[in-house]
Amino acid sequence: TTLPLQSSSDGDAIKVYVRVRPLTQGTGLTTDGDRNLCLTVTSPHTVRLHSKPEPRTFTYDHVADMDTSQESVFSSVAKNIVESCMNGYNGTIFAYGQTGSGKTFTMLGPNELNDFSDELRGVIPRSFEYLFFLINREVERSAGAKSFLCKCSFIEIYNEQIFDLLDSASASLFLREDIKKGVFVEGAVEKYAASAAEAYQVLSMGWRNRRVASTSMNRESSRSHAVFTMTLESKETGQEVVNIRTSQLNLVDLAGSERQRDTHAEGSRLKEASSINRSLMCLGQVIMALVDVSNGKTRHICYRDSKLTFLLRDSLGGNAKTYIIANVHPGSKCFGETLSTLQFAQRAKLIKNKAMINEDTQGNVK
Amino acid sequence: MASVNSREWRAVCEKFLRSQELSEKESRKDPENDPFRSKYEARELLKEIYCFLKNVDADESEEEEEEGEEEDGQCEQSESEGGEAAGGRTHPGDSRAGLRAAKLGVVEYYLGVNHIETEELSAGEEHLMSCVKLLEKCAVTRENVSLCIQARNQLGILWAGRDETEKAQGFLETAKSIYVRYMKEDGQPPLDLVDFFVVEQEAPSQQERMRRFEMVYTHTLYYLAQVYKNLEQYEKAGQYCHSTLQRQLKFSQFVPLEWAINAAALSQYYITKTRYMEARHCLAAANVIAGLAGEVPSEAAAKESEVEYEKREQLRQKRAEIARCWIKYCRNLLEDAKKLLEDNIGELDLDRQEEMLRARRDEEEEKERGRKSAVLFDSSDTFDSICRQEEKVSSVLPLIFEEASAIFLVGQGYVAQAKEYFEMDGHVTDHIEILQDHSALFKVLAFFEERLERRCKMHKRRVDILEPICKDLNPQYYLLICRQLQFELAETFNEMMDLKLGVADKQDQPDAHTIKKLNHLCTSSIKYYQMFLDSIRSPEGKFPEKLEDDLLRPALAAKFRVARLQSKIITTNLNAQLENLNHSLDSYNFVVQYCEENPEAKKAVETELELSEEMVSLLPMKINRIKSKLASSN
Repeated sequence: TTLPLQSSSDGDAIKVYVRVRPLTQGTGLTTDGDRNLCLTVTSPHTVRLHSKPEPRTFTYDHVADMDTSQESVFSSVAKNIVESCMNGYNGTIFAYGQTGSGKTFTMLGPNELNDFSDELRGVIPRSFEYLFFLINREVERSAGAKSFLCKCSFIEIYNEQIFDLLDSASASLFLREDIKKGVFVEGAVEKYAASAAEAYQVLSMGWRNRRVASTSMNRESSRSHAVFTMTLESKETGQEVVNIRTSQLNLVDLAGSERQRDTHAEGSRLKEASSINRSLMCLGQVIMALVDVSNGKTRHICYRDSKLTFLLRDSLGGNAKTYIIANVHPGSKCFGETLSTLQFAQRAKLIKNKAMINEDTQGNVK
Repeated sequence: MASVNSREWRAVCEKFLRSQELSEKESRKDPENDPFRSKYEARELLKEIYCFLKNVDADESEEEEEEGEEEDGQCEQSESEGGEAAGGRTHPGDSRAGLRAAKLGVVEYYLGVNHIETEELSAGEEHLMSCVKLLEKCAVTRENVSLCIQARNQLGILWAGRDETEKAQGFLETAKSIYVRYMKEDGQPPLDLVDFFVVEQEAPSQQERMRRFEMVYTHTLYYLAQVYKNLEQYEKAGQYCHSTLQRQLKFSQFVPLEWAINAAALSQYYITKTRYMEARHCLAAANVIAGLAGEVPSEAAAKESEVEYEKREQLRQKRAEIARCWIKYCRNLLEDAKKLLEDNIGELDLDRQEEMLRARRDEEEEKERGRKSAVLFDSSDTFDSICRQEEKVSSVLPLIFEEASAIFLVGQGYVAQAKEYFEMDGHVTDHIEILQDHSALFKVLAFFEERLERRCKMHKRRVDILEPICKDLNPQYYLLICRQLQFELAETFNEMMDLKLGVADKQDQPDAHTIKKLNHLCTSSIKYYQMFLDSIRSPEGKFPEKLEDDLLRPALAAKFRVARLQSKIITTNLNAQLENLNHSLDSYNFVVQYCEENPEAKKAVETELELSEEMVSLLPMKINRIKSKLASSN
């Protein structure tokens, strides 16, 4: 008997939250003054895209219209994931969408604020607050039997290279895999955070580096993926044993979807061979498509995953709880990008996840 | 007059050169907010050249009256001119009209490409189409053949981008047939596009011309490979991938490591099609070509310089990837042979083996013919080395242990090689997959071994390979792999127990040592099945009421095996016996009840269910017998 284990089980499919931003006014975006809408939110789970000849309806775990508050985005998307993190699960929140669709507003807040008390602050500051609220409550309840340690790292993936946003002087870093702690970025700086404010400080420091990088090295922020990782370690001293649990919370700001033509949204376009370069890179992709159609045979695919999917492999069809926030702009000029975002979000729903608890019993410590 | 003309012509050539420079080199440095600046500049130059060709050449031909009448048509009347000039164009090299059309065609082509690159697709298409029309009647000539193919390559790319794949396919197939016809009818080095705009002495050598031309056609095949992939005609796409690689090799137009990886990957395609001869050929070629990429820099050198580090990393990684493709080759070849030779309980069918051996002797000649018709990479430089690589391993399904063992050893060699780069520390998933392949190689080799004791030893090797990592691997990150390992270990112990049981059956009375051994194997197998089953439980420890599709069969099978194993533990202690049998009954009951509540599961575990139902009705009697024995002894 062979064991048919390709994807994981138990139905914790990746959840998808679609958020429609309000129309822009005077922000200088090309979409300004565009009063025509290309979509309608028809229910809390469906959105209708006014495509021709037939309108198309897409269904997701949640669809938020233009009036949705930041608090409500947080409670539907992040609350549950943060709670799971406290219980030893890994969790990931992705933000996806075209530049100008409201990703940064959703994740951070207006103007990438440093002001912690702003009503409009985004999912990330709220997650920090909630996480530390839960930590403090847990510590109090256990009367000292439980303690927590929280470490943050912040990296950027640009052109398939990894940069450390907490150490802007460092050269590009490598991804490695460890038998105990899974995939990790070798040599990435880890900063301890003891409160939400401290965690937010680490985040905003890195975020600034990201923007500096965009001018000094001619990089553009929306062309890079940024991954903020919080590693939470809890230690519980029981009567005989010490239980240590670790979990990770990944907050991912994906590159603007319109920049990703090279990877996914490309469809039927042919890759060109420039006459100067003898390299026919795309041949590999063709072969990969051929090899993928196997009939129970085992084969090796020589072409590596992208850095991002490798780093987040665990979140995409592995063992973690994952939410994707797909931001869309309702303007009719954005029709093409909106359609591709909605399609991406729908494909993402097909990826299955399975959450599992991990307890590392360290034996007798008396 | 001639000197004026040549001075003017020199200016045109310079303009052309400049436009190429702008378009290919300077455009790469254009600022983000003005990305097509150089391209637009190049376009203006091309337009000027176009006008010059239209006007000056027309004037010139009026002056040179002895050249005949067909040249004095106005440039606006290109349609009628085209018709008139048709006679002359069969030898365009000799005719001014032909040469002029060729030059105009080149400019149209570059204008077309320029518009496409600046995202004005329709305008680009128009230019390309006028290029094609201009040369329609004399495409297969030394002057035009390269241009005609390149214009169609571009049109193919253009239409594929518009999601009209069939249309793209049409252009590319035409390009292909133009090439084939030219090579049949002429075959001399044709003119390159830029050749029309160079002063005589700067013209490239014949050899260089041929090289460029062959590259153009290689690209046609490369695009066709993509088109057929998009059309989901995978067999054709595979053929074109192969031809592209073959031509890159033949005309020395490749980056060794990249070529080697593509060839190794293509072998995996052939494996899925059970075409082992081709698969082996690809892999042998990959080995040889990867060797051309140079020696792996030493660890010390890598520490010294970043360049050497990169090179070392690249070479080691790619060679390890190729080794992994070889492992899959050996594994699949052995497993395919096993499928062919096994009887209905998975044992070697001796009659079948005899029959196959006889058939093979008869077919020896047939095979020889097949070998000759297989597609090969026939570069004269590397052919011999590729053949030498091929000789190291068979591409024929093994039928006897010696043959299987030879393939196994080759596979095992590549396992060692692949592990050198894909170490556990840093490459967990890759490393484990290699170990799983190694285990699979032992498993299938054991199938060919007749002596039970030796078979058992081979399975023991599998345990030695897999057990240590199964203990260390963190299921929080590697749940799927953990499950695979647990299940495989459970199966291996189960297999070993069956083999030991077979050996014990030949003895009269199993001794204490044998019994201990059997019980150990039995409990080890139960332990791993149980670990696998526990991994399915929810965080609260609850077993799911409904199993996911991909876990249904393995989970129920595991329950069934646990039931069976529990009843096989040998003990003279009646209480222990009773306990074991009760456990066994519980597990059989689980299978039966699950299938009652979820009738759709019945199909997945037909045999197991039937046996479980039988056991559920029989076991209670046995249990009662032991109970009464216990009662009477008290």
